[in-house]
Amino acid sequence: MSENNVKRMMLDDDMAGGAGADDVVIEVKNLHKSYGNAEVIKGVDLTVHRGEVICIIGPSGAGKSTLLRCLNGLERATSGHIVVNGHDLNDPKVNIDKVREQVGMVFQHFNLFNNMSVIDNITLAPRLVHKESETQAREHAMQLLETVGLAEKADAMPRSLSGGQKQRVAIARSLAMHPMVMLFDEATSALDPEMVGDVLEVIRELAREGMTMVLVTHEMGFAREVATRVIFTDAGVIEEEGTPDQIFNHPRSERLKAFLSKVL
Amino acid sequence: MISDIKTLLRNTWVRLCAMLMIVAVTATGLAATAPAAHAAEVGDPAATKGKTYKIGTDTTFAPFEYQEKGRMVGIDMELIRSIAKKEGFKIEIQSLGFNAALQALSSNQVDVVIAGMSITDERKATYDFSNPYFQSGIQMAVAANNDDIKSYKDLKGRTVVAKTGSEGETYAKEHAKEYGYTVTSVDQSSTMYEMVKSGNAVAVFDDYPVLAYGVSQNNGLKIVTPKVPHGEYGMAVNKGRNADLLAAIDDGLSQLISSGEYETIIAKYLGADGAKEQVKAISGMVTDNGATETAKVKVGFLGLARQSLPALMIGLKNTLLITVISFVIALILGVAFGLMRVGENRIVSGISKVYVAIFRGTPILVWAFFFYFGVPQLIGHSVNIWVAGALTLSLNSGAYLAEIVRGAIQAVDPGQMEGARSLGLNRRQSMARVILPQASKIAMPSVINQLVIMIKDSSLLLAIGFGELLYQAQQLYAANFRVTETLLLVGVIYFVAITILTWLANIVDRKVNR
Repeated sequence: MSENNVKRMMLDDDMAGGAGADDVVIEVKNLHKSYGNAEVIKGVDLTVHRGEVICIIGPSGAGKSTLLRCLNGLERATSGHIVVNGHDLNDPKVNIDKVREQVGMVFQHFNLFNNMSVIDNITLAPRLVHKESETQAREHAMQLLETVGLAEKADAMPRSLSGGQKQRVAIARSLAMHPMVMLFDEATSALDPEMVGDVLEVIRELAREGMTMVLVTHEMGFAREVATRVIFTDAGVIEEEGTPDQIFNHPRSERLKAFLSKVL
Repeated sequence: MISDIKTLLRNTWVRLCAMLMIVAVTATGLAATAPAAHAAEVGDPAATKGKTYKIGTDTTFAPFEYQEKGRMVGIDMELIRSIAKKEGFKIEIQSLGFNAALQALSSNQVDVVIAGMSITDERKATYDFSNPYFQSGIQMAVAANNDDIKSYKDLKGRTVVAKTGSEGETYAKEHAKEYGYTVTSVDQSSTMYEMVKSGNAVAVFDDYPVLAYGVSQNNGLKIVTPKVPHGEYGMAVNKGRNADLLAAIDDGLSQLISSGEYETIIAKYLGADGAKEQVKAISGMVTDNGATETAKVKVGFLGLARQSLPALMIGLKNTLLITVISFVIALILGVAFGLMRVGENRIVSGISKVYVAIFRGTPILVWAFFFYFGVPQLIGHSVNIWVAGALTLSLNSGAYLAEIVRGAIQAVDPGQMEGARSLGLNRRQSMARVILPQASKIAMPSVINQLVIMIKDSSLLLAIGFGELLYQAQQLYAANFRVTETLLLVGVIYFVAITILTWLANIVDRKVNR
C-alpha cells in the first residue's frame, strides 16, 4: 500500500495535496481514443475516489463503454494518462495483468466461460492468479454464490442459466478476486426486464457495502438511487457531472436536458 | 434416449451394408462381362487401310520411346510409323506411361500398346502379341561413384529398384532370395534412377538397351553386369479384338526386316553391331498367342479378391501406419503454427503465414520427390522412405490444420478472452484454460475431415515406391492385368477403412468435447 502511494505520488505530483488524494483509485487525464480516423473519446478527465459509485450516462455512441474499457486496459488509450491504483497503464513496465486483478469487470453479455461449470468459472482466476488452494477458492466461491442467491447452481453449466443468473454469476466471479474497484459495462442491457431487478439488487448491496464502482448504465432510476456522482457524456466528452440531484433535477446543459427528456 | 441411439446406429449399419452389397453386385457383373480368352483368329491386313489407330505408349523408355522437341521418337515410334506407312493406316500416338497404356488398352481407349513390352505368358492371357520385334536382356547398374557393388553377390541385405511390370522387375524378383536382396518397384524410369543416385536403392535392374542408353546420356549410373537375354518385345492388342491390325503389324514388320529398313532404324539407336545382332535374334520368330490359353484359367472376382487380399492388407497396414504417424506430427505442427498465427508477435505470426502459404501452395508430390530424392543428394546420405513419406504428409497437412486451428480460435467469442483477461489471467492462461477447450470443439469436424483427406493423399507416396495400398494394387494388376476389379477392391477397402476411422474419430471427439 505505502509503496503504491509513493509510486502514485511520483507520477502525479501536480495533483498532490488535494484533499482526497490518498483515496484516489483511478485517475484519468486528457484521455483520447480513436479507431482509425474516428475519434470516440476527445479529452476526458476523471478521478474515482474510494467508495464512490459513479454512473456514466449518455446517448449511444457517446463513448461510455470505450471509456470504461480503457480503465482496465481492454482498450489502449490513443493518448492521455490512466493511472489505476498508482499504476500508469501507459508505462511498459506495468504488468497489465496485475492491474486487472484489482479491477473487476462485468460485461453486457456476461462472458462466462462456456466450457466450465459455474463454480469453475468463479474459482479459475483465484486458483491460477492468486494461487488459492482448491478448497479455499471453492469455499469463497460458495459464499459469493450464496450472496447472489445462486448456491444451488454451483455445478450447472452457463448455458443452462437464465441471463439474470448468468450476470449474477459473472459478478460473483469478479468479486472472487477481491477487486478494489468494479466496472459494470451496461450490465443489465441484455437482460429480460423481469431479470433486471435481481441483478440491480446485487449491485445495490455492493454499493451499501462501500464497494467502489463505475457503471455505464441506461437504468436512470437506478443511477439516481445508488450513484454518489453521475457523469453525462456526449460525443466523446464529459458534458456535465454532479450529484444525482444536480444531474436529474437541475440539468444545466441543453444536451443533458434533451437527453433526459427522451429517457425519463 | 439410448434406444434412439441404437436405432440410429442400426440405420447407419443397414445403409452401409446396402451400399457394400451394391458395390459387390456391380463387381460380380463386371467380372462376368470381362472378355474371356478365345482362340486367335487370322486377321486381314488389308482391312486396316485408311483407318486411324490409337497407339498407347510409355512416357520415357529411351531408346524405345522418348520425347524430342515435343515429338515422340525412338525405336518403337519409328517402327510403328514405318509399319503404318507400309500398310496404309494412320496412327495417333498417346504417351501415357507403361501401366496407364495397358489400362487404356484393357478399357479400349487405345487400340494397341507399343512400349518395349516383353511377351509373357501372363500377358498372353489378356492380350494378343505381334511377332517379336526386339530381343531384350537384363542388366544391372549402380551409381557411377559406387565401387562396392560389382556383381549380384554384393547385393546381400541391400535394396534394389526396378520398374513396375518390367522384365527387370521379374528378373530381380526371381533372384532376390538367391542373393538376399529386396526389390522396390517404382512407376517411372526417371524415379528409378533417382532412387539409385539418392542411395535409396543400391542398384537398378532394367532392360537392355534402355539402361545402356541412359548411361550413355550421363544419367549418373554405370552398368556392372553383362546382358542376360530375357524375352522378346512385342506389340499388343486386346485379346481377340483387333486381329486385322495385328496381322497388318506382323506383315509390315516382316517387310521392314526383309527390306533392311528395320536394321537401319535399330542401327540409328544402338549402332551397326547392335542392329545386326537384333536382326539375327528375331528373324523368323513367330508369337503363338494361343499357346498358353489352357494354362491360364481366369479366376472369378472372389478368387481374385482372395489372391489379392494378403498383399492389399500389407498395403492397408502401411497406409494406416504412415497416416497415423503423419497425422500426429501434423496435429502438433497445426496447433503450433495456428497458435503462432493468432499470437501478438508479428514476426512469429508471419512465419506461420509463410509456412502455410508454402505448403498449401505446392503439390504433395513435389515434396515427396524432394524429401526422398532431393534431400539425399544435398546431404549425401539416403533418407528412409518412412521419414520422407511422413515429412511430406505431415508438413502438407500441418499447413491445413494450422488454418483450421486459427479459424477455430478466431471463432470463439472474443468476449471469452476479454472475460479471462479482465480477471487477471495472462494470455497463455486464457488460451489454455478458456479459448483452446472451446476452439477444439469447433475444430473437431474439420480435423476429422483432414484425417480422411490424409488417408487418401497417402496414396500419392506410391510415386516414390512407398508400399501403401494403391501401390500394392498397382503391383498386382501389373502382373494379372485385372485393373478395374483390383481398383474396385482397393476402393472398397479404402471406403471401409475410412468409414471405421471416421466412426472412431467421432467417438474420441464425443469423449474429449462433451
